[in-house]
Amino acid sequence: MHELSLAMEICRIAESHVEPGQARRIVEVGVEVGDDAGVEADNLAFCLEVLLGQPPFAGARARLNRQVGDVLRVSYLEVEDGRADD
Amino acid sequence: MAVRTIDVRERVMAKNDRLAAEVRHRLAEHGVAALNLVSAPGSGKTMLLERTLERLGDDLRMAVIAGDVQTQNDADRIARRTPRLVQAVVTGGACHLDARQVLTALDAIDLDDTDIVFVENVGNLVCPASWDLGEAAKVVIFSVTEGEDKPLKYPKMFQQARYAVLNKIDLLPHLSFDRDLAVRHARTVNPDLRFFFTSALTGEGLDAWLDFVRATAARPAPR
Repeated sequence: MHELSLAMEICRIAESHVEPGQARRIVEVGVEVGDDAGVEADNLAFCLEVLLGQPPFAGARARLNRQVGDVLRVSYLEVEDGRADD
Repeated sequence: MAVRTIDVRERVMAKNDRLAAEVRHRLAEHGVAALNLVSAPGSGKTMLLERTLERLGDDLRMAVIAGDVQTQNDADRIARRTPRLVQAVVTGGACHLDARQVLTALDAIDLDDTDIVFVENVGNLVCPASWDLGEAAKVVIFSVTEGEDKPLKYPKMFQQARYAVLNKIDLLPHLSFDRDLAVRHARTVNPDLRFFFTSALTGEGLDAWLDFVRATAARPAPR
């Protein structure tokens, strides 16, 4: 039931790790979700899909990685860096 | 375009936990204890607080932070039992209180003139278990109309709580509720849980609870 609050905090963390105004460049947000974290993973995924689909984001994917234990953390971001492919 | 990976490794609850630590620090500075009362809707949190304020009002300086999804009804009820400030927190849909709301509520409470703070959380046995509010302990309240297996259905809450109040025991003669079975189920998920058996309505069993509140207020950090 509290997954929306958690999803909003995940989005806040993601936004804080890119330059101001660059959240639209985030293409993937990696989240570790422990089995004992008290989180309904499908519900969290749904909330993240909604939030990451609207400004300041532009349709980033959420990738939830299930873990043992009670961990709940944002592990990584994948961001378009604005340069042409190497 | 090229994609690069940014290493984040930030716990989702980190910010709440920092704010909870701030609550704990502020309370400790003033020698104030805080109890976080959690339960399903309708277990009797508000009435237990009403009786506690009535019975201990002459001995203790008690403040209340009452959270609800909508309405200030509980805060209004509690305010009728104490001349002191009752802080209402209306979450507007959120299913729990978080540490920031408690920190903000503390701003309005004169902690130098307070012995103990009760936080009445939103009625919900799931979500409030995940949010540390800076309390000395969580007290989980459940009632004899709810079924003995509540602790098995909501293990995280019963694990997070250090104390349990089984309320509405005046109704036991009318129900098939097995009190010993309920305690056994609770101890299965949390062997250290300390129980109180109360009827907030008739006052039965309240003395042990009130002694505990007095002791908690006298010794703000029961760790």
